[in-house]
Amino acid sequence: MAESRVLVIDADAERAEGLRTVLEFVDYRPVIVENCAALDRSQHKPRDWGAVVVGKAEPKSLGAFIDWLRKDRLHPPLLVLQPYYEAVLEASALDRSACLQLDTPVRYTQLSDLLRRASLVGLQQATEVSRLVGPTGNSPAIRRVRRMIEQVAAFDTTVLITGESGTGKEVVARAIHERSGRSGHPFVAVNCGAIPHELLESELFGHEKGAFTGAITARKGRFEMADGGTLFLDEIGDMPLSMQVKILRVLQERTYERVGANRSSHCDVRIIAATHRNLEDAIVKGSFREDLYYRLNVFPIETPPLRERLEDLPLLIEDLIHALECSGHGRVRLSADAVHALRAYHWPGNVRELSNLIERLAVLHPGEAVGLDNLPQRYRAKPPQQAVAASAVTELRREASTGAIAEGGPPPPRDDEPSVRVPASIGGSELPPEGVNLKDHIENIELNLIKQALQQAGGIVAHAAKLLNTRRTTLVEKLRKYGLTSRDDGE
Amino acid sequence: MKTLRTLLVDDNRPFLILARHLLEDCAEIDVVGEAHDGHEAVRMAESLRPDLIIMDLAMPGMGGLQATRLIKAQDRPPVIVIASHYDDPAHREFVAQVGAEGFVNKQYYETEVIAFVREMVKRAG
Repeated sequence: MAESRVLVIDADAERAEGLRTVLEFVDYRPVIVENCAALDRSQHKPRDWGAVVVGKAEPKSLGAFIDWLRKDRLHPPLLVLQPYYEAVLEASALDRSACLQLDTPVRYTQLSDLLRRASLVGLQQATEVSRLVGPTGNSPAIRRVRRMIEQVAAFDTTVLITGESGTGKEVVARAIHERSGRSGHPFVAVNCGAIPHELLESELFGHEKGAFTGAITARKGRFEMADGGTLFLDEIGDMPLSMQVKILRVLQERTYERVGANRSSHCDVRIIAATHRNLEDAIVKGSFREDLYYRLNVFPIETPPLRERLEDLPLLIEDLIHALECSGHGRVRLSADAVHALRAYHWPGNVRELSNLIERLAVLHPGEAVGLDNLPQRYRAKPPQQAVAASAVTELRREASTGAIAEGGPPPPRDDEPSVRVPASIGGSELPPEGVNLKDHIENIELNLIKQALQQAGGIVAHAAKLLNTRRTTLVEKLRKYGLTSRDDGE
Repeated sequence: MKTLRTLLVDDNRPFLILARHLLEDCAEIDVVGEAHDGHEAVRMAESLRPDLIIMDLAMPGMGGLQATRLIKAQDRPPVIVIASHYDDPAHREFVAQVGAEGFVNKQYYETEVIAFVREMVKRAG
């Protein structure tokens, strides 16, 4: 069954027909035009095609076509036939990743591989729609992260970034790379947890032709792709032990072997690793190597959860809206009550969750003002009349950690302040017609009760634990989970 | 036995006809709608509230990755399986990172979708 459409522009009709045959053979839907003028651009969008193959074409009209194409930042890449490649690359000023060379005569394996790469370019672009350059914000926690980035960037030091999922560990890694002497070279990211374990080695180190069934050509691994630049090993805590030992060797000896290769390759990459897991716990459990941990943990950076820096929320929202606008989405605006509701939310998915929400709103409500009612239920669980109260979580944290409210901060929550984000209609057991997110709802109830217990206990965890009939250590764990700190936790 | 209210998403209409036919005999799947691009999928996920979405990765306009991110931001999001023409570690990595629960190779669409669905129903008890 035919896959994505591919546009072929070639004045050489015979060659174009040959390309049609090959493309149909590899399951694509080719659209052939002999010149750019034959294409009615008003009937198309650049993203209608997965890739555009360019052969012989009149330079001026091709230039106009490429200008039209690149108006969409997420345009498909060009696959230019070899005799015309350098001229098109120079005239178009396209990046080499968006303008790939296709040898003539066209061979099935190369065409198939370039189309696969074109697909990956498209996926990469789709993930960059709402990427922030960041880290964004002025909170003390994020200022500290920025200072650490500045401190470490210029050196080739290995960095270990820890923090909950969605806190922007890759943003930090990219920022280090951009500020380093390696910024002119590639930044290559690999999510060790998202690649099947049995495929991870060849993905990281590459493989030789015939190394295993299906290895019909030799292929570069991510280490090789990152040569001279930075390799970001995300979710390193999910890496199997068998691979950990190989990474350790790269860090120690700066060499590795492609799968199926007899000789070692030298590697000139800076390693930045990240994980949301507690690696020290993993070492105790035996799922992470202690020697690798010490090799990676040369310069640790911890990314703060969003609930601990809610003061950054308006700036983050603004930056995300701007990034989406630059990607061709309509400008979305959030009403004050919507922003207030978002400030009262505890953001278990952190900045990534916020980014996905804003992207959703920008797509569903382009050019509109988004009110509280447009937010998914879990964000507006707090009744609107209470929405004006600033984040009780932040307030409580300030109150509990300092015993007083920070200067210029909002007033402390009063004992009679309505509960945080627990829908009035639920009252604990009644299911509203639109339903609830059970996990979030239970967490809301738990957070609310913990908050009340802490208030009653004057911020002393041991007393609050008695009120909740739970162990002190359990409560401390929960306080950590919700980003709350207490008066007696020594901070 | 539990049936899963399923939304099929693909820009290639003949493929949707074939997919319906291929999945016809799988009693666990009840196809409740079809969408033809990511935008439509996001809207229909909200209005139909399916249990499962089987979605093409590459579509003009909004593709499967972006649509998955946006659908996962709704309340009680469905399980999402992405069907991809390419099956290699890099494609699987992109799909896993946006929060899709499943990845199927389009060449083995019927076999892999049904295996995923049966496993999902079994786990749900």
